[in-house]
Amino acid sequence: MPDARDALYAQIQRRMVNSGDWDRISEALEAKLNESGWIDSLHDSSKETARAGESVSVGTLLESLGSQAASSVSPKVKEEIIQMIRQYLDTQLDK
Amino acid sequence: MSSSGSVFCNGCGDFVYNSDALFAHSRAALAYQEKHTQFQVAKKGREPFKPWIPNSKDTEALEGAIAIPCQGRRGLLNLGQTCYLNVILQSFVANPLLRNYFLSDKHNTKLCSKTKDCGCCEMDKLFSEVYSGNEAPFGPISFLSTTWRASSDLAGYSQQDAHECFISTLNHVHATSRGSTKLSCICVVHSTFDGLLQSDVKCERCGNVTTTTDPMLDISLDLKSKGGEVGQEYTLASCLRRFTHPEKLSAYNCVKCSKTTPASKRLSIRKLPPVLSFQFKRFEHKTADHSTAHKIESSVRFPASINMAEYTTLVMNARNGKDEKGGSEQHPYPGPPALYDYDLFSVVCHDGHIDNGHYTCFTRHQDEWYYFDDDKVTHSTLGKCLRSQAYMCFYVKRNLDYKPYMTPSYIVAREAEAVKEKEREKEKEAALMREVEDALLATV
Repeated sequence: MPDARDALYAQIQRRMVNSGDWDRISEALEAKLNESGWIDSLHDSSKETARAGESVSVGTLLESLGSQAASSVSPKVKEEIIQMIRQYLDTQLDK
Repeated sequence: MSSSGSVFCNGCGDFVYNSDALFAHSRAALAYQEKHTQFQVAKKGREPFKPWIPNSKDTEALEGAIAIPCQGRRGLLNLGQTCYLNVILQSFVANPLLRNYFLSDKHNTKLCSKTKDCGCCEMDKLFSEVYSGNEAPFGPISFLSTTWRASSDLAGYSQQDAHECFISTLNHVHATSRGSTKLSCICVVHSTFDGLLQSDVKCERCGNVTTTTDPMLDISLDLKSKGGEVGQEYTLASCLRRFTHPEKLSAYNCVKCSKTTPASKRLSIRKLPPVLSFQFKRFEHKTADHSTAHKIESSVRFPASINMAEYTTLVMNARNGKDEKGGSEQHPYPGPPALYDYDLFSVVCHDGHIDNGHYTCFTRHQDEWYYFDDDKVTHSTLGKCLRSQAYMCFYVKRNLDYKPYMTPSYIVAREAEAVKEKEREKEKEAALMREVEDALLATV
């Protein structure tokens, strides 16, 4: 079962990259994350956490900040991007 | 989505910090971009970047030279409500283009012919003080007195507006720059801050579009809507969207229709300057007398980096599917997105009320932020800077653009000067020969 899902995901992703929609939505996501202050907030957190730590490794930094990063995305941004993805998928399912 | 080009070593569990690898990556990325950029000038490709490698003359000249760090920080003493000047001076010191100009001795106060009130000399003195190696705070006394004499509006010991001081200082430095002109000036101020704003007015009746352009040294953004409402939270992007949003004009004299018609006016940025300065219009002057003005305290969120493409004339027109009027020079291709990236390097903050407030600022050197409260300078963070209440923000273009395949004007001038010097030498020799001949003839 998981294989079929993976294969479908890979197929859709390939189509999105070829049509330029992957880049379009990626860029919109980056712009929205930047405008909401998420990118700067994460940059600042990572830097100051690393500066304060005794000896920091990339692995531990990613672990501690990873969950913060995921949860701090503004719900509005999440919703808008999910909408864009949905709209794209709607055009695909018609085919 | 990785664009940093960093190399991660699985064995060490860490990134590899190697300057050669970083340099190789940025050269490769730039080379790729160069090959894929269509250019406007005579269908030539983009001129490939050539790093500066000292030739034997340069190496000789650099022998025995003392290398100093390209960063300098000194506090500025408050000379009596002069924090409005101090924050503007700190934003100049942190400005990489101004720093490069004055540190490369392009205006040396010791060689300047003006005996007093030269704005360029004051800038040169400022950079000399900051890079002197002395870390103690100093008082910008001559800068202050020169500013007062140049602009009587700013004179006196009461609190002034930092933005007014900014514009006034730029105008004074421009006016005292050698070779400055009223139009298309290439003085240090205009080379650094000069942009072009375009206004397109479209008659709703006949569709005729009238385009005008105006030079700008910075962009002032409203914090209240036409109706007078003030929101609580803004972002720089939302202010720019509002700035470039078409505005309805109820009564416009359309030359084509020969009558008054409804129209829409749209602003866009026609030319982006290397340093982009924003002012958030927080101070409302209800009457001519400052004391009855009030301050808009709304928070404005601004980013550490911003891409300005969507606010430019070229990109806005392309998105609307319109063709530019008189488009012989206009190329519809807007260029690579990287040419529109800007990075924040200085923020001027205002705390308190309009008449008894205090100005402080944050500036960045590479990846570190510092906080300046007159003579008190402290190491700070990006987070603290972005949480402050900004009045002005300064951004610098990440990738500077140049006219391709051109000899820089200073080299042309230098060569012309060398030719003139040779001519003068020849003249001198010829005159000397004539004198000798006359003397000889006289003895005969």
